[in-house]
Amino acid sequence: MTARGLTREGLAGLAAELIGAGIRVVAPARAADGGVDYLEVTRFEECALGAEMPRRSLRSAFQPATEPLFAWNRTGGRLFLTPAEANGPQVVLGARPCDAAGAAILDKVMGWDYRDEFWFARREATTVLTVECAEPGPTCFCEAVGLAPDSDAGSDVLLRDAPGGYRAEAITPKGEAFMEAHARWFGEAPSAASEPARTRQAPLPLDAMRGWLAEHFEDDLWRDVALRCLGCGACTSICPTCHCFDIVDEPEGASAGTRRRNWDTCQAGIFTAHTSGHNPRADQTARCRQRVMHKFLVYPQRFGAVLCTGCGRCARACPAGVLLPEILETIAGRCRQAAPSGDLA
Amino acid sequence: MKELRDLARTLLTDGSVQVVIGWEDGPAGARPAFVTKAEDADRLIFDPRCVHNLAAYLSPRRPHVGRLGKAAVVVKGCDARAVAALLRESQIQREDVVIIGVRCGGVLADPSRRVDLTAENVSERCSGCEAREPGLADHLVGEMPPPPPGERSRETRIEELEAMSAAERSAFWQAEFSRCVRCNACRQVCPLCTCDRCVADKTQPQWIEQSAHERGIFAWQLTRALHHAGRCADCGECARVCPAGIPLGLLNRQAARIVERRFGYRATDDPSIPAPIGAFRSDDGQEFIR
Amino acid sequence: MGNDKDGAFQPRMVAFVCNWCTYTGADLAGTSRLTMEPNVRIVRLPCSGRIDPLFVLKAFERGVDGVIVSGCHPGDCHYTSGNLHARRRFAVFHDMLDFLGVEPDRLTFSWVSASEGLKWREIVDDAVERVRALGPFSRFDIHSARGKAEFASEPGRQA
Repeated sequence: MTARGLTREGLAGLAAELIGAGIRVVAPARAADGGVDYLEVTRFEECALGAEMPRRSLRSAFQPATEPLFAWNRTGGRLFLTPAEANGPQVVLGARPCDAAGAAILDKVMGWDYRDEFWFARREATTVLTVECAEPGPTCFCEAVGLAPDSDAGSDVLLRDAPGGYRAEAITPKGEAFMEAHARWFGEAPSAASEPARTRQAPLPLDAMRGWLAEHFEDDLWRDVALRCLGCGACTSICPTCHCFDIVDEPEGASAGTRRRNWDTCQAGIFTAHTSGHNPRADQTARCRQRVMHKFLVYPQRFGAVLCTGCGRCARACPAGVLLPEILETIAGRCRQAAPSGDLA
Repeated sequence: MKELRDLARTLLTDGSVQVVIGWEDGPAGARPAFVTKAEDADRLIFDPRCVHNLAAYLSPRRPHVGRLGKAAVVVKGCDARAVAALLRESQIQREDVVIIGVRCGGVLADPSRRVDLTAENVSERCSGCEAREPGLADHLVGEMPPPPPGERSRETRIEELEAMSAAERSAFWQAEFSRCVRCNACRQVCPLCTCDRCVADKTQPQWIEQSAHERGIFAWQLTRALHHAGRCADCGECARVCPAGIPLGLLNRQAARIVERRFGYRATDDPSIPAPIGAFRSDDGQEFIR
Repeated sequence: MGNDKDGAFQPRMVAFVCNWCTYTGADLAGTSRLTMEPNVRIVRLPCSGRIDPLFVLKAFERGVDGVIVSGCHPGDCHYTSGNLHARRRFAVFHDMLDFLGVEPDRLTFSWVSASEGLKWREIVDDAVERVRALGPFSRFDIHSARGKAEFASEPGRQA
């Protein structure tokens, strides 16, 4: 693993070089309304590194809220398909460790029984430079799900705080190559970076919780949790690991149109509505349960990782105070009750 | 607060209702609470963090709440307008709900922080509020607090937009809409979005494209504003929930201004006053028609 | 949107009209051999009360540069009050479109009776002229399968 130094001026120069070379640079930046989002920036000065956590996760850098798959045109009795424009190179400057980790977790499902070419085209075209998290937010719980404010999962280069700038550590061969290609901005590695931030949360007993979930598909907990849930799905649209999508055709007259992939949410009734009118998840109780079950039972069973990075956005975004950390703590408490003497973690 | 808790306890004890829908102090600020036992009535609170419009839980779209039985709901003046709209549109029956009104001095935009109300942190709809005491209430509790701080900043922003050229307004809304991911949270939280099947979910024919591109977003946001013109209770929940921070309150407020200017209608908590769309007068203005 | 053979911008426009008054009025304009701007295609509906703002939006989405909405004069509605209900909806629609930055001249509302063939010609000529002055409506172009902004520039593969 290569470690180099990167001053703040060096980072500015690096960003300017990337933008100048026509590379799409995505960084935390202030949107028109003043909130921070991951946005494409055209100048380094637009980057809001060190600002509060972006409202929405990095998901859109790899899977936009809407993306064209292809267009069709019928001319002279023949049908033509035009593929969506290929993705150019992209650099994420200043990802949060929890957001970078989210993309790595999603690689598992995206490459499982079918390799999602659109997802991996963007993943492969993207270099992720993560800045370790200096100040976890009030609802953050990354350490409870096995990550940390300085996790390198999903990052190509991890920038740790150091006097005057960062200590840049290459995490992947892609990160190594990136630092090599832009070597003139990197200097001598500063000695040990300052002590990383900590959320100081006890790790959740994720294995025991999986066991509890498997046995409590029916439980009053779900009713209690779901009562205040309005089913808005805001939690899913800001989540770094939610990835459900819908595919729609948008015809433009009889002879042309576009097939697109759009984000979808399991919190909406129509997500599971059958054409017959039957809906296996008939109300919000079932939908709230689904969200927890998918993230903490089904995904880990199949892919060996919980579908959550503890970024805490869902707890902040919920207009009704449905708090995932609270739900998880409740479940953990029941597990501890069931096995008071055993080591659950 | 004691008055509210005592009332809730009485209603639950004498069996008038099976659940009181109010607010409680949660781990991350005030949040909706569903009190089903008299001994839990002390969980209920009311303070400036209680921004949530609890009328949303009366919607027939939320059968999981309805299953608890007959409800009493705690409402601020703005929330009462939403209850009135549900009654006006026969979504709920008056005898099926007990309405507890609270006198209100404005609420915080962000329910997670316990701070004093200031012009900066007050919810944008509160400044200049004229409905601080619900008229539609079976019980009215609390003293009248001082009026909410702040100027009517939303009106000023709308007037600034109106003074722009069409091209400037178009650019403003395109920039705001560019953040929309069509998550539909604005619709889901709305107490008056009661349709079983939303026009935006219909695909054959697909009047509103579901994609988060300018076409789909424009069609959705305009349709949402039109469907709420003369119905919107101005509770601000759509703007509060928007994970992209789009100023949806400006759209609803402008629709309300249009309806007031043209038809003399203001959102009210009197369910006997009919909504302006669906009605007409023979002398309605038609200066825009040739 | 399109250009004529001299390269000048020729707006593409749609008119949503009621069956009983405006359509008959437009028919009268035709049988009276009135000449008018040829840019407008007519969609006939039972009543102006049946003209949903979504029809107008869809027309703009599908590439028209301007729209005409027309029905019976107040008091003349075949269904007594369809146009009076429509008038309230159109008023809010008209004002909200303006607020969202769509030039009001792109959308023309009118009352044209069955005997007003001449008025129909005036409405059409005037609406086309105003839209021609505004230029093409391009706000929704970028995602169009025909516009191809998001699509690879090489010719498509035949399916």
